[in-house]
Amino acid sequence: MEYGSLLRDFIDDAEGHLSTFDDALLTLERQGHDTEIVLGALGTLHTLKGNAGMMGFESLQNYLHLLEDILKKVNDGDLPMGLIMGALMDSANVLRSALQGLGRDPVVIPDLTDNILALQRGVSREGGNDERPNIDPAAYLGAKTDTIRVDFKKFDDLLGLVGELLIFKTRLNQLELEIRAAVNNKPLIKELHEGIGLMGRTVAGLQEGIMRARMLPVRHVFNKFRRMVRDLAESQGKGIQLVCEGEDTEIDKTVIDELEEPLLHIIRNAIDHGLEAPGERIGKGKSRQGMIRLSAAQESNYVVIRVGDDGRGIDIDKVRETALRQGLLKAGDSAGREEILSLIFSPGFTTKKEVSDISGRGIGLDVVSRNVARLNGQISVDSSPERGTEMILKLPLSLAIIPALMTEVDGKVYAVPMSAVEESVKVRDEDIHIINNHEVIRFREKLMPVVRLDEYYGLNRARRDRLYLVILGKGEKRLALAVDRLRGQQEIVIKPLDDTFGKPFGVAGASLMGDGTIVLIVDVMEFWNSSEVMRPVKSRHPYSV
Amino acid sequence: MSDIQLPAAGLAEDVLRIYGQEKKELQIVAFSLGEEYGVPIGQVLEIVRVGDITMVPNSPPYVEGVINLRGRVLPVMNLRKRLNLAPGEIKKASRVIVTEIGSKVIGILVDGVSHVIKVPCMFVEAAPEEVMEVDTDFIQGVAKLRGRLIILLDLEKLLRGKAVSTDQGVAAE
Repeated sequence: MEYGSLLRDFIDDAEGHLSTFDDALLTLERQGHDTEIVLGALGTLHTLKGNAGMMGFESLQNYLHLLEDILKKVNDGDLPMGLIMGALMDSANVLRSALQGLGRDPVVIPDLTDNILALQRGVSREGGNDERPNIDPAAYLGAKTDTIRVDFKKFDDLLGLVGELLIFKTRLNQLELEIRAAVNNKPLIKELHEGIGLMGRTVAGLQEGIMRARMLPVRHVFNKFRRMVRDLAESQGKGIQLVCEGEDTEIDKTVIDELEEPLLHIIRNAIDHGLEAPGERIGKGKSRQGMIRLSAAQESNYVVIRVGDDGRGIDIDKVRETALRQGLLKAGDSAGREEILSLIFSPGFTTKKEVSDISGRGIGLDVVSRNVARLNGQISVDSSPERGTEMILKLPLSLAIIPALMTEVDGKVYAVPMSAVEESVKVRDEDIHIINNHEVIRFREKLMPVVRLDEYYGLNRARRDRLYLVILGKGEKRLALAVDRLRGQQEIVIKPLDDTFGKPFGVAGASLMGDGTIVLIVDVMEFWNSSEVMRPVKSRHPYSV
Repeated sequence: MSDIQLPAAGLAEDVLRIYGQEKKELQIVAFSLGEEYGVPIGQVLEIVRVGDITMVPNSPPYVEGVINLRGRVLPVMNLRKRLNLAPGEIKKASRVIVTEIGSKVIGILVDGVSHVIKVPCMFVEAAPEEVMEVDTDFIQGVAKLRGRLIILLDLEKLLRGKAVSTDQGVAAE
């Protein structure tokens, strides 16, 4: 039940905050007033208050608000700490009881009206400590929970071990083949084969289990935006409804952490530029309230997150205009709608004349695009005038282990993340033509730019009759990566590449193979962003070789 | 002052444990690039033989590549190239010194590692400008011992990627 798990999360979280609050009070009682500690306690209470608000526990919220006021007065010097310490300690007990009550009886919303009165009396100068409640020792135990807090690093360590296991498993597979060729003992080989198979399945299960343990429902991120949407809407005088779907969809915690900022930018953009003021909307025959829809869904190995609004939509002509002005587009280029739309992700792109803190500078979407790329994901946009705009983020389920296509160039192996690969095809060198000094190839009725991996890596270029093209896709854009050979797909463990000496162009990271060799991972995003590569090409020009 | 023979590969901690640490001396790991150079032992994690180094495309010329150190991908800097010395070859005696500066762990390719040397601080001087082949920016000082000159390198500066200047002019970084 959705509410049930939401409540559990709330109680878990609150217990942690309460514990921090307790510690702060104990320290204050011991050491006397300390502004820093009181500020820390205020922060804790504030967060707790916010969470209580999200759950709809108004009475609890009010109680916490009163507590906040009291502590602020203490820091301002209006209320001596010594006088009210007793009342503060009691308040922590009150909170604890409230949480316990929630744990026992989730349906009953805590009502702290009496407690609020008692607290107010407890801290007034005339009042005193005559209303001390009885101490119930059991209350100090807090509510029992089914969850534990785990330092995230432990998961990294576990995942690292699983990664090693996968590498060894690959090695075992190779060994099995070698042994099969060398030894002539069918039953023994059969047993070996089955044993390795079993181990492989167990390791896969282990990997899946750990990855799942690291995953959190998207709700954790979506919830953070409820208040922001409401507050922004109010400050701009717009009515906005935030609809969330698929909140139970789970993503790796690291990906969730990285998602917050991009989503923030996108939602702000939608509110600032996409959604119109109520008057304008009514004039257009739209509903008075605008809507922002956040949805998450799993599609095979990916999570697809959509942020949509029913506002103005993106003005394609304005985009084209700005793109021409900024040199991202040349006058004669015939670029499709999707292609023009995707230009909004280019660095420095902005159609807005004024700047409105985060979203107006035009840096926002470029940074978003890069962040998404860094997660081996993709972002695209769809928009219709007056119907609205939708941003689509496609992210792999995990950061650490990804499926990759192994390619070979100049005798060296390079891995291309499968998330970027649409297909691969064998072609003849003579099928590649040169137009305007760019190599292109006609594939399925369209012309595609060809990037030779050996050239981009400064490797020896062996001219072969036949080569392989790995077709990379992004929205409507296609690019063909030319390599010498294909060596199959496999799952690789991504190891970050040290950046002390700068980030090498075209290299995203490294992975370790079963035999310990290092295979570098191709940075597909950089090919897209390299302007020499991605100029649109027309299809009716005569060829020149 | 004593010379300690360093095993061909091993952990710096073990050496330290055996020979102890003293304060008025610098303990340095001495290695050879034609001349003798040294880095403080506190920055050395271990010394390994040179195995397969995977070349990384589009890296600065002095980056030899990356190696697999027990599951960790480590960049290896060719110190000869970085200091703009005459080019050399990788031989049997060549080693990769695994160094740690702050949070960065980097491997440094050298011709050979000889000793851990304790140098009393009073034997360390500033480098004389004229004599040095190498840009004095990277030099913390020289240690003068019994007819030997050991050039003490500032690893932090080396890793920061400033251009190396030589008599011939500034080499592109």
